[in-house]
Amino acid sequence: MALSERVGRIALAALAWVVVLYLLLPLLVIIGTSVTGTAYLRFPPEGFTLAWYAKFLGDSSYLESLWLSAVLAVSATAIAMMLGVPLALALAREMIPGARAISALFLSPLVLPPIVIGAALLQYASALGFARTFLALLVGHTVLVIPYIVRTTTASLSGFNRSLEEASRDLGATGVETFFLVTLPLIKPGLIAGSLFAVIMSWINVELSMFNTTASLMPIPVKLFNYIQYNVDPTIAAVSAATIYVAVLVVVALDLLIGIDKVATTTS
Amino acid sequence: MTLSKASILLLVGVPTAFLVAFFILPFVLVLLESFRGETGALSLAQYTKALGEAYYWETLYFTFRISLWVSLIAFIVGYHLAYFILRVVRRRALRRLIYIVVVTPLFTSNIVRSFGWIVLLGRRGLINQTLVGLGIVETPVALLYGEFSIVLGLSYIMLPFMVLTVASVLQNIDRSLEDAARDLGSGAWSAFWRVTFPLSLPGVIAGSLIVFTLSVSAYVTPSILSGGRQTVMSMLIYQQYGALLNFPFGAALSVVLLVTTLALVLAYLGVLDRAQRTA
Repeated sequence: MALSERVGRIALAALAWVVVLYLLLPLLVIIGTSVTGTAYLRFPPEGFTLAWYAKFLGDSSYLESLWLSAVLAVSATAIAMMLGVPLALALAREMIPGARAISALFLSPLVLPPIVIGAALLQYASALGFARTFLALLVGHTVLVIPYIVRTTTASLSGFNRSLEEASRDLGATGVETFFLVTLPLIKPGLIAGSLFAVIMSWINVELSMFNTTASLMPIPVKLFNYIQYNVDPTIAAVSAATIYVAVLVVVALDLLIGIDKVATTTS
Repeated sequence: MTLSKASILLLVGVPTAFLVAFFILPFVLVLLESFRGETGALSLAQYTKALGEAYYWETLYFTFRISLWVSLIAFIVGYHLAYFILRVVRRRALRRLIYIVVVTPLFTSNIVRSFGWIVLLGRRGLINQTLVGLGIVETPVALLYGEFSIVLGLSYIMLPFMVLTVASVLQNIDRSLEDAARDLGSGAWSAFWRVTFPLSLPGVIAGSLIVFTLSVSAYVTPSILSGGRQTVMSMLIYQQYGALLNFPFGAALSVVLLVTTLALVLAYLGVLDRAQRTA
């Protein structure tokens, strides 16, 4: 290997590690700031305290927001799965007129600005009288996450051996039994990846939610957003850090269950 | 296994009805609303206002300009990292570790990530401390609340999308093609540019489209990192809908943003298509 090429390889690797650091830095800064002993944001932290965590865990409005976000993420994903999985199955199996248009429709929330989806939903819900309610948030988040479910289910089905299902039917299983005993276990990794992605995309959303919130109905990212615009102190860093821990847990779960390298290059 | 007509209708019809009810109809309503004048009658008043005032053109231009910068930066930095992950890193454990670092920010709210940059870029932040400590500058520089911090923060937010999209294409390109070019006497750099890069173009195109469209509509990052000193289109839309409750004008601004974004995306794809045909 020529010298210039070796230098090039080292430079390539060194720069890549700089990018990895760049990706980590803002997250590390928040985690660091959340344990600072000072009353203002400081990084590197001075001293060590868990007082900011205690303060946020003692504030019921944060806990209510966290709970609302969790309920919203899980229920939107559950509904999206009940709608999206059967749809993806039917589209993959049957010759349905307009199948391409239908699958494009189900992927389109990915490319439309969430802020416009949020505004549209506020207006629509106002006209129908359910603006700024849990229902408005729930249908909005379901629309937001359904593409992840449809896409991963479709991808899982593309390499699927259908003779397994036929064998199951030949041996006397009903269609429903075959789905739960044969089809579902085979597409399970894709479904887990898709649903975890869906949960997270709902969990971190601000743009769509912020139109339909009230003081007592405020998912945690919207609450953080409102707070950060007026005041920043280490309590906010502690709440933010808590959401980072959730993200890390989900990513590690994805890695252990399926392998993050596989998820990363098929789900995105 | 073939499904009966009735069950197909159920499996496809129910989800489609849901999306029509809570996604298509709201958009139709926005479109109709944008054609309502002051009195509620059908009119183009909202559009003459949105397209007649220089302020809205400037905001639109600023939105597209920062989105282009972000797409360019995300492409350069993101392609580099994707290439490193797939072509340089050999151990799967290390590769998985880097993927974890790429995906974790993606799973963290834009607010939290932008907040991290506020702490980093502030006058007493780590970057200013380092610059002053190294004697590069004498007094802290104003890094926050301008075009620089918006572009830096947004590039950070968008980077994982680019890395993952490029990586998913790169991993399907046969390594031996690049090796063959090397064996035939090509240098590493030219083997990359003449073999691997052209084959990875679909990933670059898809990634840059995702990054561009997401940047154009980003709201949280620009509003936090602009400190209210710069305005992008999504901030105007939110003002009209959320604060001023002027639905018709907010609707018209939304339509303008959607249509101009779509036009730029189509123009970009058209240019690429022509370039490919002449190449």
